[in-house]
Amino acid sequence: MHELTIAENIIKMVELEVGKRKPDQKIRRIVFQAGRMNAIIPESLTFSFDTIKKYHANLAEAELVIQILPITVRCQSCGSESTIDEPEFSCQHCSGTEIEMLSGSEMFVESIEIDEE
Amino acid sequence: MKLFIVRKVLEANAKIADEIRRKMICSDTLLINIMSSPGSGKTALLETLIPRLQKRGVRVGVIEGDITSTRDAERLQPLNIPISQINTEPFGGDCHLGTEVILPALEPFDLEKTDIIFIENVGNLVCPAEFDTGAALNVVLISVTEGEDKPLKYPLMFRVCQHALISKIDLLSVLDFDVEFLKTNILKINPKIKISEISSKTGKGIDEFIDKLIRFSGKDDIAKSKC
Ligand SMILES: Nc1nc2c(ncn2[C@@H]2O[C@H](COP(=O)(O)OP(=O)(O)OP(=O)(O)O)[C@@H](O)[C@H]2O)c(=O)[nH]1
Ligand SMILES: [Mg+2]
Ligand SMILES: [Zn+2]
Repeated sequence: MHELTIAENIIKMVELEVGKRKPDQKIRRIVFQAGRMNAIIPESLTFSFDTIKKYHANLAEAELVIQILPITVRCQSCGSESTIDEPEFSCQHCSGTEIEMLSGSEMFVESIEIDEE
Repeated sequence: MKLFIVRKVLEANAKIADEIRRKMICSDTLLINIMSSPGSGKTALLETLIPRLQKRGVRVGVIEGDITSTRDAERLQPLNIPISQINTEPFGGDCHLGTEVILPALEPFDLEKTDIIFIENVGNLVCPAEFDTGAALNVVLISVTEGEDKPLKYPLMFRVCQHALISKIDLLSVLDFDVEFLKTNILKINPKIKISEISSKTGKGIDEFIDKLIRFSGKDDIAKSKC
């Protein structure tokens, strides 16, 4: 359900970024990245995005590309890095429990494509 | 033309969260964000916890995030504490509390005269985990009437919390629930999380939880030098 808020935040950020550089440009595509930890339901995010983009003239035809990134971690004890598929945060090598998440829990707007002039 | 920007989608929320954290540190107020599925016992915990805190001289306030009604705030009325009700929406409303609603909800409190503010977040195990509220402490409740595998299904929630409360343990005698298995699953997600077992009905475990809160609240001296 938080997909609606996320869609709003994406649109706000894109308008700000594009406004800084090329105001009034039509936006073609937005690449959005989320980690597996974010539990985003892509269909729901797409639906939310498509619903609210209509109210933004330069976004009306924009496509939202959603990329879900794996969860990667680094063990603080032995330094090994790995990708985890199961929600289990202990080191596969030394069973250490001080696990730092390198990626997979944050959401980004990676890039924006706008019309060429 | 492609513009690469790579900006965090929730950075606006995070920025206000940092502002709230600074505010709380400077006024020596502990902000605690309580999250759980609907009905795990957040309001019941506050009903039992707050009078005990008051007995110890702790001055408490509550931000009530039950956004569908004012029922939870009404349940807390007898405690005679300041309650800040987040705007309600009778048919649902938002699934989480963002800092854009938390910051104004903090306005009514006299922070200099408040030791702890609890946020009762919206009953939901997914969305609130995503939105930093500016709380110093995130607490998740999971009741013994839910599944032992909940932490594995909602890992982010158990990652962002420093404390997990296993609630309604008075019901254990009539249930076939494996508390140890639940604890194992919680620790799989977050090996550093503190776990307590509580019953808001009988009061079991509540004083021990208060001791932990009080110990935690004394920890912010270093950060305070930045005020
Ligand atoms: N037996 C028992 N019942 C409890 C306990 N804590 C809460 N309950 C019951 O569980 C139900 C839900 O409790 P609430 O405190 O309203 O739960 P909540 O998490 O605030 O619910 P929402 O605000 O709707 O998300 C109520 O009927 C409570 O009486 C407990 O420790 N033991
Ligand atoms: Mg409640
Ligand atoms: Zn290791």
